[in-house]
Parts: sequence; structure tokens; C-alpha cells
Amino acid sequence: MTENVLEVEGLRVHFDTLDGPIEALHSVDLKVKDKQIMGLVGESGCGKSVTSLVTIGLATCDVDEGSVRYQGEQLLFSDSDEDSRVQDISGWIVVLCVMTAILGFLWTVLINPIQGVTVLLASIIVGGLSWAVGFAAKSEFRKHQKFMRWVRGNEISMIFQEPMSALNPLYTVEKQISEVMRTHDRLVDAETPRHIRILQALVSPFSLFVRAIRLSPYVSSAVIGIFAFVTAAHVGGFSDEAELWAFLLVIILPILGSRSSLKERREAIETHLAVTGYSVEGVAVDIALGTSSQTSDSGAQIRLWSLLSIAAPNLPLGIASSIVVYLMLWMPFSALMGIVVICTLLALPVVIILDYLILDPAHTRQVISILEDVKIPNPEAVVRMYPHELSGGMRQRVMIAMMMACEPKLLIADEPTTALDVTIQAQILKLMRDLRDEKGTAILLITHDLGVIAEMCDDVTVMYAGSVVETGSITDVLSRPRMPYSIGLLHSIPTIEAGSERAVLPIIPGQVPDPNLHFDGCRFHPRCPFADEKCISTPPPMMEVEPGHFAACHYTDRTNNVSQVQAAFDRFAAEYELEGAA
Amino acid sequence: MTEESRDGEVLIEVKGMKKWFPIKEGMLSAAKSYVRAVDGVDLQIKRGETLGIVGESGCGKTTLGRVLLGLIPITDGSVLYGGEDIRTIPDRELRRKMQIVFQDPGGSMNPRMSVRAIVGEPLQVNRLAEGAELTQKVADVLDSVGLKREHMNRFPHEFSGGQKQRLALARSLSLDPEFILLDEPTSSLDVSVQAQVLNLLEEIQEKRGLTFVFITHALNVVNHISDRVAVMYLGKIVEIADTNNLFSEPAHPYTHALMSAIPEPSLEKASRRRIVLGGDVPSPADPPPGCRFHTRCPIAEEGLCDVEEPKLESIGEGHSVACHFPLGPGKKLPIIGDDQIPPEDDDSPKTVVL
Repeated sequence: MTENVLEVEGLRVHFDTLDGPIEALHSVDLKVKDKQIMGLVGESGCGKSVTSLVTIGLATCDVDEGSVRYQGEQLLFSDSDEDSRVQDISGWIVVLCVMTAILGFLWTVLINPIQGVTVLLASIIVGGLSWAVGFAAKSEFRKHQKFMRWVRGNEISMIFQEPMSALNPLYTVEKQISEVMRTHDRLVDAETPRHIRILQALVSPFSLFVRAIRLSPYVSSAVIGIFAFVTAAHVGGFSDEAELWAFLLVIILPILGSRSSLKERREAIETHLAVTGYSVEGVAVDIALGTSSQTSDSGAQIRLWSLLSIAAPNLPLGIASSIVVYLMLWMPFSALMGIVVICTLLALPVVIILDYLILDPAHTRQVISILEDVKIPNPEAVVRMYPHELSGGMRQRVMIAMMMACEPKLLIADEPTTALDVTIQAQILKLMRDLRDEKGTAILLITHDLGVIAEMCDDVTVMYAGSVVETGSITDVLSRPRMPYSIGLLHSIPTIEAGSERAVLPIIPGQVPDPNLHFDGCRFHPRCPFADEKCISTPPPMMEVEPGHFAACHYTDRTNNVSQVQAAFDRFAAEYELEGAA
Repeated sequence: MTEESRDGEVLIEVKGMKKWFPIKEGMLSAAKSYVRAVDGVDLQIKRGETLGIVGESGCGKTTLGRVLLGLIPITDGSVLYGGEDIRTIPDRELRRKMQIVFQDPGGSMNPRMSVRAIVGEPLQVNRLAEGAELTQKVADVLDSVGLKREHMNRFPHEFSGGQKQRLALARSLSLDPEFILLDEPTSSLDVSVQAQVLNLLEEIQEKRGLTFVFITHALNVVNHISDRVAVMYLGKIVEIADTNNLFSEPAHPYTHALMSAIPEPSLEKASRRRIVLGGDVPSPADPPPGCRFHTRCPIAEEGLCDVEEPKLESIGEGHSVACHFPLGPGKKLPIIGDDQIPPEDDDSPKTVVL
């Protein structure tokens, strides 16, 4: 049963600009069948992305006509005539009332208080009432917005081209994926009940303290020791003499710090190796000896030098902390206590709220299982990473995981692999195919790469300058294209077949027309070898050239022999260059 | 000297080129470690040929190009231009011989300069032309890249992507160089425009006898335009051969994987054998020991590939490969399906050969 999941019919939209409206889509018809991959291909500026954005209601353009139906439900919305008239009128009344209210206020202050207040009150009442009427007239629109919010994510999801700009750089992966699931109510019940979470958050300052001591005992004991010393000096009254001792820290701290930082770095490198999937055996990860073992033949002198070079980065820290300790000894004890109390009071709520916002373990496990679905290695470590720590392919996988989180029926992938390398692209395409096979998600794949289309899709639609020019099954369109643009596009791609090098590449002369330009007839006619008067004056209809294979061209009867068309293109390109239309 | 006698002469020779970028932590520390962007590359570029350099992002191909031109200092090794070390050639002289076309044509042009100023600037800097003569020379160069004299007073934003790339090419041609480095010149262009630019490049090379180094990640483009191709992986050249040889008999498993990963817009080819490499390119800051590709290689052998680094060795006329087990006519990759991979404890993705 191949039912249409998505049906777009006769879509015509325009963008309002300062130079007047620009028609971005002229007539777009598109059908995505259930459990199928539909390819949408075209060059930049031909309206592929606008089509997809209109479909999920995120576009900023105005729809002139046409319909977008998802499983029979209309996704486009327009107010009824009466409602939109009511909204218009109420808007105007509100504007007038605001102006009268301002006038009334000035009148009150400057001329006559009684008259002014009367005008002010009257305009506020009238304005408020008409706003309420307008608001009521918009109820249908709000209902539709709510419906679209439900459709997006639950039913239709979208993968964007640039994963780095679609992910939030400030949140970890688990936070972003769980946010999608929370919005769509897909999170499982939390493991710890809410009142326990609140209690845990309230005691979190103490647990933070304990964790700090456990994780870096050297640093925290040094800090506690310094505070104890400062307090003792103040209470014991020898803070004046102790001021000079503070400068000993310049030497002590870097040496202490280098010991603990070495340990941390070794752990960091080990986890890094584990995450990236290298075998750790055989690779000596002994960083503590790293510098000295390489140069061990030179003896103790080198060891001292290496110790100094490890300690050197912590020198600024030593200087800074000695200054801080000096100041703490120098200032009166009451002032020091005041600073400590104020800082604690400011920090406590932040610590408590941040702890409360930490993800529940059950939700983390849920996110991990989604990441496993998209075959991310070592998901337990990846969920705690930020987007910048991931490679391009991993980021795109996270995006796909996010979109699959709510198990949509239709996935719109807008150039999902354009920013990726070919080997990573192969991985992502395989992943998307696997998802379709396992979960039966229909995919609308938007790309400019006909190669990707050939590999992925069941059906394909070719767009040119805002309209669909050819559509059909993948075999029809790729092996027997009938629209001259599709034929030219297919041949202008260099192949990797051996022996095809150093021949002149077939081209389509000219370039995609400016969307400002108005065409009466076919938009491709300036670049088409077959164009004549009819093409300039009449828009071509969608002709069914084979069952299920449509092409928008007046002369589909002339385009059935691909090699002849190509020869015509070559002749036309030569003439085109002679004309010098660069 | 006639064109033919100059053919085959080595124009640029790269010996053991290394470019390491230091990673520093803090102000006072010495370099902790290095990103080995280019790690020991030997190359010979002959006069009049087009050498393609292919590889994924982060494999060091752009760095190689920049060191080749002397735009960034070399860490170790040398680049000889016509037998002379480029470090000893004065900058101004060097730039008249070697030019570059950058990846993003819009980003490499000052939006406040007119086309005449952009294309004419190299001539002015080198005091080769002024006034009316400059205008005439700029018009000639524009004509040779298919732009018109009227375009001279326009600004870059008034041009489309393909035209901007033509402008960038015109600028690099204005000094009449011998060598042009093309750093991904078509990757930001649409397919139909890419074809136009590629044809233009070939036409210009034929007319002026130029030498090109064409850096790109698209194997199909390189197949079309190059005479020889070098494949890079993690800062090293893993295979270098004549274009015909490389595409008919790739010897390195990585070249194989790259070629099979290119989606082809035709149905017969779409069903060919394909290799889906597992995982990502390792970080060049700490490359794997032994052969750098062994972490993703379907035929890597433990104890050899992860220990000993293969040398770039000749396996045929003009065909060199750095692999312990080079593939060839009699040796194909075995089929390793999803089900044939033993489930292991670590769930890092494995390479699949279908």
C-alpha cells in the first residue's frame, strides 16, 4: 500500500522585499509516498529549501495559492475572509486608540485634567475591547499553530544542512536531545521523584565540597590550608608578620599544581583514546614520564629541567594566588568575612538551581539509547560533550538522533551531507537508509548532488527556478530524462570512470535566472537549445511522457534521444559563447 | 626554448616537506605537542602538467599548498622552484611566477574595490602598468576568462559565484605566472557552473602553457582535469599515479574507499561495490602509530600495519603507493558485510565492504 504521506499541490509563494514581491515558487507539485525516499534536486536558488520550510510552516514567505497536505490534513492555514477583515479593523482601532490615549495624557497634563482623563479612559476601554475582538478572531490561527507544533517533531522532522549552526554550542548533547523529547512529551518517568530531587539540590553545595576534595585532593587541601592559615593569622593577631610569607606560594603552588595537573592530563588522554576508539595497548600513555623518558640518557639535569618546564605553566597561578593571600592578610578581618559571606549568598542559589537542572539518570539512559540507534561510538561519553567536541559526521549523527527521537513518519533532510567528506557522507547515507528500512520513515531528501539521489532515492523531482520541471521514478529520470535541463545537468557532472579525463566537459550555457525576472513562458528557455516562440510565450504543461514520469516541456517528443539532445546542447553552447553572454 | 623540449622538465620539487603547528598551553610554556598537518611529503611537479591533490578535510592538502607557495614557513624539508629554494627567491619575484586561486572567491576579494582595482592590483604592486595601459591589460585578462570590458567598473557583489571565480582566476593570471595553485576552486559552485569553470581552466592552461596544482576533495573533478593525482591521508601522500592508472587500478585501500564513496548519478554505477569506512579521520595532533590508515583499513594486519610505517614505493610506471598490501589487478578487497564483523566489546564502528 503506497499511500501519499505528503502532497504538495500548485504551491505558489512570494517574499515581500523592499523592491516589491519576489516569487520564489511558481508551481510546485510534490508527492512523498509512505516508506519511500523522495529526492528533490536542483541548483542553488531554485526553491528546494523554501518548499521544505513551507511544508513544516517555518518559512517567512507568503503563500499565494496551493495546498500542502500531510496524510490528508491541510498544513497551510489562511484565515476566513470574515475573520481577516475583523482582525484588520480591530488592528486599526487599537492603533487609533493608542494615539488618542497619548493625546489624552498630554491633554490631562497640559490643558484640562477632567477632559483629558475622560478621553484617556474612553480610548483605553475602546482599544481594549477591540483588541479582545481581534484576539477572538484569531482563535482559529492559534489552533492551527498548536497543531503545527504538534506536527513538527512528532510527525514531520527536519535535518538541517549545517549541524554546527543548528546545535546550540552552550548545551551538552544530552541536554539538547532531552529538550526535544520533553517538548514532545516523550521522556520516560523520572527515576528519582521530584521532592527527592529538590532535597538533593538543596544539599548540593555540601556534596560539591565533598566531590572537590575527592576529585582533586591536592588543590582543595591547599585551598583549605590557606584559608585556615589566614583565619589563624587574623585571630592570633600575627597577620602583619604573615604577609611576607604569602609570597612563598609563588614557588610552592606551581610544584603542587603540576603534580595534580599531570594526573588529570593522563586521565584526559586515556578517555580521549577510549572515545575515539583507538587501541590503548601498545601506545605508551605514560605522560608523567613522557618528557623525561624521551631524554633519559642525559640524566638528572634533564629531569630537573623537565620538572621546571612542567611547573612553569602554573607560575602565573602562583603569582596571582600569592597576591590574593597577601590581600586577605592585609585587610581587616571583618571586611574579609563580609566578602566571604556575600559571595556565598550569591553563589548558593546558582549552585542549587544548576544542580536541580541536571538530567535524571533515566532520561540520560534514554538519550544514550537513541545515540546508539544512530551508531555513535561510546555514547556514554558523547552525551556529556558539547557540539564543538564532535567531528562533522558525529554532529550530523546527533542531529539525526534528535530528529528521530520522536519517531516521525516523515523526515525532511535538507542537504544533510553537503558539508561532509565523501567517506563520512557514505556513512550518513547508509544510516539514513537503515533507518528507513527499520522504522519505515518516509524521507524527503533535498540535495544538489544527483549522485546522492541515484544512491538513495526511489523517486526524484527536479526543480529549476522555482518550479518542478521533471518528476518520476529514479530509473525513469536518471536513465531516460526528458526535460532538457535534467539532461544537461546529468551530463555536466564529471565521472570517476577511468579514461574519461581531459575531454571538454558538456555544459549548460548561462546561469540560473534572477528570481526578480518575470517569465511568461518556460523559465529555462534562455539556456535551452530547443527554445522557440512558444517557449517564450506559454508556460509548458506537465506532460506524462511515460506512466508516472512527468516532464514540463513543450517538446518532450524531441528529447527522447539523449545523445541528440546533448549534441544540440554542445552546438548551442558554442553559439552562446560567440554571443558573448557571460 | 620550444614547448616540447620543456615538457617533462621538473618545475617544482618538494623534498621531505613537513609543516607542524605547535599546540601551546599558557603563555610561558614551550609547545606541548604538534599538529602534524603535513608530515614528510616528496613531490615532483612537471612543467605544463596538472597535478591533482585529493583528500578529506583535515588531511593537510591546503597546508601543503600554502607551504608550496611560501605563504607559511616550512618546518622541515625544502621546496625547490626551478632548482632554487623558494626561501632564497625574493617574495615579489616569487609571486610573479606562482599564484593562487582561493576556495571562496567572495571572501578573497575586497568588496570595496572595483574589478579594475582587484585585477589590476598585482600589476600596480609590481609597477608593470599604469593608467590606460593598466586598463587595457585588465581588459585583456578579463577577456581571456570570458568576462567583458564593461564589467571593469563593477564590484564583486554584482557577480554570481561562477563569475566571481572567473574574476579570482583573472587576478591570478594578470601577472602572467608560470604556476597556479587552485585550492578547491569549484567546491562552492553549482554543478552546471562548475563544468563551465573547469572547461575554462583547461582552455587557459592550453593557451598559456600553465602548470596547475589542483587541490580538491572531489575525485570526479580531479579525474576530469588532472594528469597525475596524489591522494593524501593525515598529512602523508598514500598514493600517487597517472590519473588513468589511479582510477583504473587504485592500489591503496583508502583510494578504493574514497572512490567507492563518490555517489555517481547513474544507476548501474550506483549498485557497484562500496566500502563504508568506519569512524572518523584520527586527529593529526596524535596520529596512530604505523600506517596511519590502519585504524579504518579493512585489510590491516595486526603486528605489521599498526607497528611499521609503509614507505611510498613504486609499483609500476609513475605509480607509487604507501601500503604493505597494495591492491592490484589480481588482488581485490574481500567482502566484509555487516554480519561478518564479530561483535566486540568496544562499539566503535567498523569498516564495511559490500
